[in-house]
Amino acid sequence: MDFLFDIFQNIADQFTNPKKRVFILYLFLSILIASGWLIFYKKKSLKDSFKFIFNPKVFFSKSAKSDYKVFFINQIFMLIISPHLLTQITIATALYFFFFEINFIEMGLFSYAPQYLIIGLFTTTHFIVDDFSKYIVHRWMHKWPFLWALHKVHHSATNLTPMTVFRTHPLEGLVFTLRSAIAQGITISTFVYLFGGGVDLYTILGANLFVFLFNVFGSNLRHSHIGIRYWKWLEYILISPAQHHLHHSVAKEHYNKNYGAALAIWDWVFGSLHHSEDTDNLTLGLGTKDDQKKHTLKELYTIPVIEFFGFFKKKFYLIFHRKKKEENKSEIYFKKSLQ
Amino acid sequence: MKKLHLKTKILASITCLSFGLTGLANAGAHSEDVYGPFPVTLKGYSGDCTNTVSYSGQIARHVQHDSLKAASTKGSYDNMNAYYVGADGDQAILAPSSKDDFQIKQTLVNEISSGKNLSGKTYKGTITAWPNNMTAPEVIDFWMMKAADNPKDVSVGLNYQQLLSKFIMGAVFYNQAVDNYLDEKMGADTKPNDKPYKDGACYTGKEHSWDEAFGYWGAAAHSLLLSAEDNYNVAKRKDLAAADANGDGVVDLKSEYVFAHAYYASSFDKGGKTSYMEDITRAFLDGRKLITSANGEKLSDAQRSELMGYVDVISTNWEKVIAESVFKYAGSTYKSLVALETVSNEDLSKEFSNYMKYWGELKGFSMALQVGKNNIGETATKLNRMIGFGPMLMDETQIVGIKGMMGSDGKFITSEYEMGKVYSMHDAKLHMLKIQKLMIDEFGVKARSKDMLADMADLASKIGSSDSAEND
Repeated sequence: MDFLFDIFQNIADQFTNPKKRVFILYLFLSILIASGWLIFYKKKSLKDSFKFIFNPKVFFSKSAKSDYKVFFINQIFMLIISPHLLTQITIATALYFFFFEINFIEMGLFSYAPQYLIIGLFTTTHFIVDDFSKYIVHRWMHKWPFLWALHKVHHSATNLTPMTVFRTHPLEGLVFTLRSAIAQGITISTFVYLFGGGVDLYTILGANLFVFLFNVFGSNLRHSHIGIRYWKWLEYILISPAQHHLHHSVAKEHYNKNYGAALAIWDWVFGSLHHSEDTDNLTLGLGTKDDQKKHTLKELYTIPVIEFFGFFKKKFYLIFHRKKKEENKSEIYFKKSLQ
Repeated sequence: MKKLHLKTKILASITCLSFGLTGLANAGAHSEDVYGPFPVTLKGYSGDCTNTVSYSGQIARHVQHDSLKAASTKGSYDNMNAYYVGADGDQAILAPSSKDDFQIKQTLVNEISSGKNLSGKTYKGTITAWPNNMTAPEVIDFWMMKAADNPKDVSVGLNYQQLLSKFIMGAVFYNQAVDNYLDEKMGADTKPNDKPYKDGACYTGKEHSWDEAFGYWGAAAHSLLLSAEDNYNVAKRKDLAAADANGDGVVDLKSEYVFAHAYYASSFDKGGKTSYMEDITRAFLDGRKLITSANGEKLSDAQRSELMGYVDVISTNWEKVIAESVFKYAGSTYKSLVALETVSNEDLSKEFSNYMKYWGELKGFSMALQVGKNNIGETATKLNRMIGFGPMLMDETQIVGIKGMMGSDGKFITSEYEMGKVYSMHDAKLHMLKIQKLMIDEFGVKARSKDMLADMADLASKIGSSDSAEND
């Protein structure tokens, strides 16, 4: 009974906590932004805009329905494993001791800096480090076949809705948790070590200022059918929703582009930036013949695990086999030399 | 006439009401949550005794400890030792003593219990936390001799009052309770419940063993009726109303005062994150009720196993209370080390005195942690190495050993501390932080007073949990 209550509370938290992406206010603001885009840029009427935004074909598509299922199942999964995961505080403490031990500059060296500066610097650094680590890990998810086996679950969405953000394989969730813990652990420990007890975070409604702004300005539209584009110059700095839609596109020219979460700078610097295009006729998904069959629980949960471990099995098999071959070879040489 | 009648009626009502309220108050004081009185259950007992609860010997030892602590700054070995080894005749209670608004019933140890001492009940094992393989009584004796010369020895950084007090609480009260009364004496065939504790006693073996352990714990009999704050204020002699359970205007040390680790437990609990005082005292009370319910019969296996459940609650939480203290004073010592680097010359001696006090408490509590029922093994080694034998002085030296002449009784005739450099000031600070982490990892301390790593935990919770199954 307690467990059921916890699940319910976790789900409710996703929509009521301003630190979460799908907080109800952010969803509402996304609708406003989408309406503005459709009315003023696409020249649709208010009625048509609403019809377009709340298109049942999108929200009740096979793809969207599987998003909802994954959302519920993952909540249960995370509730069970969360207490056993490595936390940011464990990493921060270990790093803090490490800095202390190697006498990493002088502890509290900048503790006399003005408070507003420390807080501003921490808030910005935390956002940048977090965003950069997201970029790197996302790139790995595409680059490494064993990680792609998991990340495919997210890309198998053939329609994007704000709930697609939760379309994530639980094992991938573990990778993301570790990423977040490491990113936070590094920032927290470094700042507390160098700046002492004055370190704090600028927050609005409890969320990091930048995370709040990111969400207020329509982060939920990244996974949606509203292809909002930014000015070209801005798309070098911030990823527009349309840019992220391209990331989900099946077209070859869009492969391995736009990995960024909030900032486009990383894509720009590391050569994976692709400016937005009109996304009205974009096909989303994995680009296989049977993309519509990828929405079953088996495809979303079981097959990625089989592929993930299958990859290692294959690797081990190859290594083992090669070793055997080499052993056989040396045995032949040995026998020959005896003759 | 009519008016008078009404007045009489009102007066009578008030009188009745006040009697009723007093009755209620008394009923409250003897509620289910008070430790005692408990009836005689011993089969075949024919004496006059009606209440089997008796732990005055333990209270006498608490008072001897408090008095020794008070005597430790007065420069007399004999005075201190009298409280440690006990004395014939009347022995004055130096602490806790009466204050204007907090009158204490007893002024002599003998009024509580006669013929008691601390030395006979001190843990006998070797203390690895102190040089020269001394036993606990030898360490205490050594410290008393040193304290008589110089109770706060700035040249080596030792505050003997803190060392003596914090270690005695562990080596006598904690050790006796968890390693003797709640351990051996809870065995199936030791001090059985169908026999008197000793010939002629009205209490059974198990009843009295349990009461003795409760006595060492140090809670007042009515502590469960009080909040953590109230219990704390009783120990601080600040709240007569909370202490005076029977309403006689004075505090009876035998049942109405809060001593030793029970006081520390309430000090942590008043922060709201823990409930050590409540948990331990309730486990004692529930255990006693269980023993009483056996009605003078030998405890069945089921009863004994239930009782061992209470023992577990008591031992685990008691250990945590000491670990919380180690945590707290590691934090204070750290803060003091940081302060010493920047403090102005006029405040230096004051800050150094604080540093000695905190380090003394840390050392004493850390030594107490090592004399419980469990061998804490590697944790003890880590603690002893990180804390050292003495605090690091400003020239980065600290006590590394003791040299001198030792008599055949194991006592030093002459002694001198050897000083040496083992690690840097920087390491000394790091050690304090590591000790805090060790207490979290090994004992799961929750109150975490003076948490030096709290800044990081606060930031982490502000940012929010790191677990996420989301694809941005």
